Amino acid sequence: MSIISIKSATKRFPNGFEAIKGITADIAAGSFTVILGPSGAGKSTLLRLMNGLETPTGGSIHITGETLGKSNLRKMRSCVGMVFQQFNLVERLSVVTNVLTGRLAHRSWLGSLFYLFRNEDMEIAQEALARVGLTDKAWNRADKLSGGQQQRVGIARALAQRPKVILADEPVASLDPVSSEEIMMLLREICDRDGITVVVNLHQVDLAKRFADRIIGMNSGRVVFDGTPAELSPLTLQAIYKRDEIKDDTNLNLALAYA
Amino acid sequence: MKPRQTTPSASALPPKPRNLFPVWLAALLALLWLIVHDLEISFETLAYGVADMAEYFSRYSKPEFSELSRYLELMKITLATALWGTVFALVVAFFLAPLAARNLAPYPLAYRAARELLNFMRAMPDLLLALIFVAALGLGPLPGVLALGVHTAGFLGKFFAESLERVDKGVYEGVTSTGANFPQIVMYAGWPSIQREALGYVLYILDRNVRMASVLGMVGAGGIGLALHDTLRMFNYGQSAALIIVILVTILIIDYASAWLRRRLS
Repeated sequence: MSIISIKSATKRFPNGFEAIKGITADIAAGSFTVILGPSGAGKSTLLRLMNGLETPTGGSIHITGETLGKSNLRKMRSCVGMVFQQFNLVERLSVVTNVLTGRLAHRSWLGSLFYLFRNEDMEIAQEALARVGLTDKAWNRADKLSGGQQQRVGIARALAQRPKVILADEPVASLDPVSSEEIMMLLREICDRDGITVVVNLHQVDLAKRFADRIIGMNSGRVVFDGTPAELSPLTLQAIYKRDEIKDDTNLNLALAYA
Repeated sequence: MKPRQTTPSASALPPKPRNLFPVWLAALLALLWLIVHDLEISFETLAYGVADMAEYFSRYSKPEFSELSRYLELMKITLATALWGTVFALVVAFFLAPLAARNLAPYPLAYRAARELLNFMRAMPDLLLALIFVAALGLGPLPGVLALGVHTAGFLGKFFAESLERVDKGVYEGVTSTGANFPQIVMYAGWPSIQREALGYVLYILDRNVRMASVLGMVGAGGIGLALHDTLRMFNYGQSAALIIVILVTILIIDYASAWLRRRLS
C-alpha cells in the first residue's frame, strides 16, 4: 500500500525557475527509498513538497490518503518527520529541548509559551534519544555537539514526532564518511524495526545502492529512473547525471567509472 | 635569456573614475554658511558670552548636600521609573516583534500593522509623550513610566524584529517541519536563537531610560528631575548643583554596569 502518492506535481518558483516538471510517484509504506540526482535536479524541492514546506504549483500530494493542504498542514506535518542537511537544530537550546520540539504539534501554544511539556512527551523524547545513543548528552547545548551527533539529534527530533514517514534531505552531505555511514545505518534500522517509511535524498551513488529498496533517479525536474538498486546500470546513471549543456562529458564518465 | 620588454600601452590603467567628493564637500560648506547667514548666528556674541557663561556656572560651584537622603530617595523613584518603563517596553516588544519580522509574520497585514505601530511609537518623542500623559494622569512617576515604555517599545520591537529576521531560515524550517504553529515557532526557534542579542538590547534601553527618566521629571513626571526643576526655578544653585551631581554619578554607575554586563554576555 502506498503511504505517499504524488500526482503530477509541478513546482515553479516565483523567480520563474521550474524545479519540478510533472512528477507522479507512489511510495510504499515501510519502504526505504533513495532519490538520486545531481545538484539542482529538484530532489530537495520534491522532498519539501511532501512536508508542505513548499506548495505545489500544480498537481497534489497525498499522505495516508489525505490531500496535503493548508487546513490539515499541522496534522500532516506531525506524521512526516524531516531531517535536514544542515541539521537545522536550535543551537542555543539543549539537546532534549530540541527533541521535544518534535512534540509541539500535539500541544497547545499556551503550554509552549512556558516551555511546559507533559511527562509522556518527556518519555517519548527520552526514548528517542536512547534510540540514537545520545542519552548522556541530553542537557548539552545542541551547538556543542559534533556534526554526526547533531544529525542524530535531528533524527531523534523526527522520531519524537512518532511519524509514519521520515524525509531526509541530504542527511550526510555535511558529514565525514564514518558519521555518514552511522547515519545511513540508523535510518535503515528505523525503517526496518519501526516500520517507518524513509525517503532519503542523496548524491552518493554507492550509499544509494547499499541502503535503498528503491531508487528514484531525477534530472532537471523529471524522474528519469525508477527501480531497484540492481537495475541501476551505468547507462541509467548516465541519464541521471547527464548535463544538458555539455556533450561528451569526460568528467561525468570519469566520476561514474568509480561509482 | 630575453630582456624583459616594458610596453607602456599595455600597463596603462583604465581612466580614473571621477571622484565627486570635493563637489559634495563644497556644497555642504556652502549650505552651512547659508544657514549661519539665514539664522543670523553671530559668533561674536558667543565670544562675548563666554565671560557671562563662566560667571553663571560659577554659581554652581558650592553644591549643597544637606538634603542628600531626600535626593537619593528621589533618584530611587527615577530609577524605578526607568526600570518599569523598560519592562513595559519589553512586554510590548515581546508580542509585537515576531509579527514585525518579515520571515515570521503569519499574515502580511499583521506584519504591516505591527511595523507601522512600532514606527509610530518610535517616532513619538518621549518628552512629548510625558507631557501628554502628565496632562492626562497628573504629576507623578506613572506618566513617566508610560512615556518611556511606549517610546522604547518602538525601539526594542524594531531591534528584536531585525534580529529575528537574521536567524537562519533553516532553524525556523526545522521547527516548522514538526507541525509547530506560529507561537511555537517563535518560542522554540525565534527567541532562543536571539536571546543574547536581545538581552544586550534590553540593557542598552534600560541604560538609556535611566538617563531619560531624569530629564522627564522636569516636565512633571516625578523623580529627581522634578526636584531639579523646582530648585532651578527658585535660583537655588547650591541644591541644583547637588542634584546634578547625584544624577551624573548615578548615570555613570549605570553606564559602566551595563557596559560590563554586555561585555560579559558577548
